[in-house]
Amino acid sequence: MDRPLGAYSLSIAYMQDFDVVVIGSGPGGYVSAIRSAQLGFKVAIIEKYAVMGGTCLNVGCIPSKALLDSSEHYYNAVHSFEEHGIDIAKPKVNMGQMIKRKAGVVSNLNAGISYLMKKNKITTFHGLGSFDSAKTVKVTKEDGSSEVISAKNIIIATGSKPTILPFIPVDKERIITSTEALKMKEVPKHLIVIGAGVIGAELGSVYARLGSKVSFIEFADSMIPTMDKTMGKELQKSIAKMGADFYLSHKVTSAAVKGKEVTVKAQDSAGKEVEIKGDYCLVCIGRRPYTDGLNLAAAGLTADERGRVAVDEHTLQTSVPGIYAIGDVVRGAMLAHKAEEEGTFVAEVIAGQKPHINYNLIPGVVYTWPEVAAVGKTEQELKAAGIAYKEGSFPFKALGRAIASGDVDGVCKVLADATTDEILGVHIIGARAADMIAEAVVAMEYRASAEDVARMSHAHPTYTEAMKEACLAATAKRSIHS
Amino acid sequence: MAIEMKVPAVGESITEVTVATWNKKEGDHVKLDEVLCELESDKATFELPAEAEGVLHIVAKEGDVLPIGAIICTIEAGGATASVKVADAPVVAAVAAPAPAPVAAPAAGPTSVLEVKVPAVGESITEVTVSVWNKKTGDSVSLDEVLCELESDKATFELPAESAGVLEIVAESGTIVPIGGILARITVGGSVAVAAPAPAAAPSAPAAPASSVDATYAAGHPSPAAAKILDEKGISAASVAGSGVGGRITKEDAVAAVKPASASAPAASAPAAATSDRTRREKMSSLRKTVARRLVAVKNETAMLTTFNEVDMKPVMDLRGKYKDKFKEKHGVGLGFMSFFTKAVCVALKEFPSVNAKIDGDEIVFHDYCDISIAVSAPKGLVVPVIRSAENLSLAGIESEVVRLAGKARENKLSLEEMSGGTFTITNGGVFGSMLSTPIINAPQVAILGMHNIVERPVVVDGQIVIRPIMYLALSYDHRIIDGRESVSFLVRLKQLLEDPARLLLDI
Repeated sequence: MDRPLGAYSLSIAYMQDFDVVVIGSGPGGYVSAIRSAQLGFKVAIIEKYAVMGGTCLNVGCIPSKALLDSSEHYYNAVHSFEEHGIDIAKPKVNMGQMIKRKAGVVSNLNAGISYLMKKNKITTFHGLGSFDSAKTVKVTKEDGSSEVISAKNIIIATGSKPTILPFIPVDKERIITSTEALKMKEVPKHLIVIGAGVIGAELGSVYARLGSKVSFIEFADSMIPTMDKTMGKELQKSIAKMGADFYLSHKVTSAAVKGKEVTVKAQDSAGKEVEIKGDYCLVCIGRRPYTDGLNLAAAGLTADERGRVAVDEHTLQTSVPGIYAIGDVVRGAMLAHKAEEEGTFVAEVIAGQKPHINYNLIPGVVYTWPEVAAVGKTEQELKAAGIAYKEGSFPFKALGRAIASGDVDGVCKVLADATTDEILGVHIIGARAADMIAEAVVAMEYRASAEDVARMSHAHPTYTEAMKEACLAATAKRSIHS
Repeated sequence: MAIEMKVPAVGESITEVTVATWNKKEGDHVKLDEVLCELESDKATFELPAEAEGVLHIVAKEGDVLPIGAIICTIEAGGATASVKVADAPVVAAVAAPAPAPVAAPAAGPTSVLEVKVPAVGESITEVTVSVWNKKTGDSVSLDEVLCELESDKATFELPAESAGVLEIVAESGTIVPIGGILARITVGGSVAVAAPAPAAAPSAPAAPASSVDATYAAGHPSPAAAKILDEKGISAASVAGSGVGGRITKEDAVAAVKPASASAPAASAPAAATSDRTRREKMSSLRKTVARRLVAVKNETAMLTTFNEVDMKPVMDLRGKYKDKFKEKHGVGLGFMSFFTKAVCVALKEFPSVNAKIDGDEIVFHDYCDISIAVSAPKGLVVPVIRSAENLSLAGIESEVVRLAGKARENKLSLEEMSGGTFTITNGGVFGSMLSTPIINAPQVAILGMHNIVERPVVVDGQIVIRPIMYLALSYDHRIIDGRESVSFLVRLKQLLEDPARLLLDI
């Protein structure tokens, strides 16, 4: 009768049990953890890296915005100060300081998330989370030790990683991804950007402003090809002013590094080959859902052919009850704010509530300068769907505030239903477009008509007047200032 | 030729009525039996149907107090209609048009939309619940076809279509709607098109601001927060009237929206999964709320107490055993205990009139008749239909009334009238196996008899212990006007009559 009763029960007693375990601490994961905690659940969050915040905070939105603003200040100092009547000695880029400042911004926000976890009594595990079963997750720490925790509900929020083309040898030195582009030691002389989508446009414009020659190679026939055509066209015009080259409708066939030189070859649609030489090549052809090391199989899950975890449309629950997935790892736009909405959504679903997400009204934003922001349907989508629409546009160059500030590149474009006047899509390129789009989201959540917005007072002189004027134009071609 | 319509005699004690509301306007064309107005007495509200078809001329205004027999209005019948301006009644025009056909011809003109509202159904009823729609949105309905069933805390009634046309449901099943609230719309004279979007802002014309348009494309669109709240309450946005700009559903609208009574339990708003499967919340039905309110009121406002006695049921059972087949054969209805009890109660009430009375202010109102309320368990809860003048009915008459009223109760078809005006109530908890209970008075009555189950008990008869079928009786009474002597004597008299039913025959 020497049953090791003590040892047996100890191992059970020591397995920590949670109501909700979130794998990944990006904007989807940490928001989901906080919302779950607010709803009274016992919550744990697992992060592979030493710092919280995921791609968005560490190697995405936040650091790129930090650099975008630094580069914008430099660009203005070089190009605009004199016109504004500010004479300074010729400024020069201190890349080390710029990257240091960016790192400071990031670590400041890292600390912020850790604080929020503590404040909401969320248990943080640092280590690689992988499924042990459908109800347990193993956390493998950096020192190799591991721990298994159990949970009634598990939320997969593991995000995405940059996509790499097999024939492009990314060495992270000369041929780099967005992650490396955020910690450069020097300003490239000639940066070749493969992919002129959102990330390529943002990082390409950073270095164009810092003085790099930038060449964009894009397979589609415009920049930011998923957005309204007007936006891509206007953005290209604006970036071209900084001396960038565009190889649109070009397919990259090879890239090679030789010493400090990168050679990229591409073909146009007619099959004609071009060869571009530069000192750096940034590959921004998209991102793939990231579930490496998650051991989905142990939970009875599989990723689809694109690496995504399939979820139920109404609950974001996977095929295994009690396991949910949110953000870049599931279908839909790879956007931090989309992941945040889904994080809140899932926590509330677990609590038995019935939250809503209007996916049509998740705004898309490109942080170039001028910024691009859009919500709702593009003109191409309306045409394809056979919806009769009216278009109203207003150029920033006719806007008092834009002229006063010297930011006259841009246009606000409103698409409204031809019969009901309901706003169906808003597309803005111009200074502060990313902030202005919020008005369009509010209006469209309430199904406002173009005339409704046109009749609301907009403070003068602000950039938001472009929205009012474009709505006047959409209503009945009666904008006041154009 | 004009017909004068007068205040009808509505009840022996009613000498005057007040004109509550006119459903029709001066100059309206009215049909035979169409309800013209509502009259109010101190007892009840009733409707006045048109005695003829023709053009209405109102004599008494809303609020006027009229004695029985006074003229309320006149109806000008016959050819005169053609010259009367019916056209300026926009909504009812199609219904009331003096066309030879019962309904205006569809091709005759532009469509009009008729709002189907909850009719005023009784003086104390303020809201109804839509129980079942017999028709769907988009269905064509004909005049007087039953559209839906409405349920109040007192009765269930059917709503006929006021006009032929195409139906658009506004209040879904389960919705609670106040009197006068919109239940549906009937597009009269049109085809299927329902509420075409208002051409608010055609590019060519200077459009009106959206807020001035009643129904827009956005009507019924819930705000993000409202959508979540409605979903959690299990309410379809279609059944909520939006108060926001252009009919949008605001958060406030969603918070105020009432959950359909028939819907399943609401989603728990708290995370505690453990508690949600151990408790369940349901909205009280309006019937339940009224019952609850009235029961508490009786407890608080009367001096109620209960007296008991027991009855040896053997004589009644013997009599019933002997004659039940013949009785059924002759009268077509079974001989139950209810008729014996009702009959005995009528005899006892005659002897103790205060048990058959009610209090009205400083006065006691005695009833020289016995309208006996019988408590019946209906699917929606307890209802209490009335056997009128039971003292004049034979046992067979009583039994057939009981069968008729219980049947209607089960089908929720009892009218308000059939449930009001009783002078004394009998309730039988014995059908559920109750040995003894203290029933609550059915106000404004002052006494209620509780019957219970019949159990064989050892009793002493003539010095011998024998087994007899015994029922305990309970009489709850309002001590304010019934003294102990009367209440106890009433129950003893009842015992006497039931233990020797021949007394009923001989009236001794």
